Amino acid sequence: MKDLIRIKSLLSTEVEDLLNQQVKKEALSSSIYLAMASWCNRNGFDYSSEYFFKQAEEERHHQLKFYKYILDMGGNAISPEVTGIKQEYNSFREVFEDALEQEISVTQSIKKIYARCLNEQDYVTNEFLNWFLKEQREEEYKARRALELFEIIGEEGTGSWEIDKHVGKIKYDSEAN
Amino acid sequence: MVTTVTERQTGTWEDVFSTQAGAVYQCDAESCWYINFAGKVAKFDYRCLQKLKKAVYHIDIEAKLLDSSKDPDVEIIFICACDHTYILTLLQIIELKELLQGTFVMLQLNNILHDKLYRTAV
Repeated sequence: MKDLIRIKSLLSTEVEDLLNQQVKKEALSSSIYLAMASWCNRNGFDYSSEYFFKQAEEERHHQLKFYKYILDMGGNAISPEVTGIKQEYNSFREVFEDALEQEISVTQSIKKIYARCLNEQDYVTNEFLNWFLKEQREEEYKARRALELFEIIGEEGTGSWEIDKHVGKIKYDSEAN
Repeated sequence: MVTTVTERQTGTWEDVFSTQAGAVYQCDAESCWYINFAGKVAKFDYRCLQKLKKAVYHIDIEAKLLDSSKDPDVEIIFICACDHTYILTLLQIIELKELLQGTFVMLQLNNILHDKLYRTAV
């Protein structure tokens, strides 16, 4: 009897489901960043708005990477439904706190897929996920650095304006990269 | 693609798993599976078999058992993009789930055997 399931797809049903969940998570992240870009723009934080527009683009790129991988491996990529995006924030700082939370949640979810793949000895998907794990180092660093600016500059006086200017300059160019 | 066939074309089908309620056969030549359940034999390709599995596994049997409303105790399993539908009672859903669970365990076992017997570098 032929091994038809394996012939048709490299992915197990469980890994395929997890990857599709990740597609949704990346799409959600992209939409959240878009809402953040809008809020920052409306409140006069133009550099932060630009920063979030770029982040939204990146998340969309991540979503497509997962999407195409599922299809390339013989799986069924599902276009996700994204609803319930928070549009309003109570403060400039809250936007960045939420951004860091979002990145942490993405890292955790990629770790979960990685663990499942290790368990199944799906090293092919593990190798694919390595790129994302490295990417998350940068994403978390940038989000954490933005929040750090609130600590060291402070929001008093022209502080918020100063923070906004510096957010646009955040880069991850550490030797560890 | 799903089509309903009336009788088994012997010789080309191999038993995958069976219970008292039904049976699943694999046809290598056509790269598909035939499911004999609820009084009919239906042909499932890889995509549709995965969709059927997902549809059946997602039914909350416990919630249905506890449901005391007067709605009929029937579930319609409609698989998108497959011209096939099952209309099953709760007992049949449990039986179909058992049949599919056993089938996927056997297919996984087949995968392990292929890995060990044919795909291992000597």
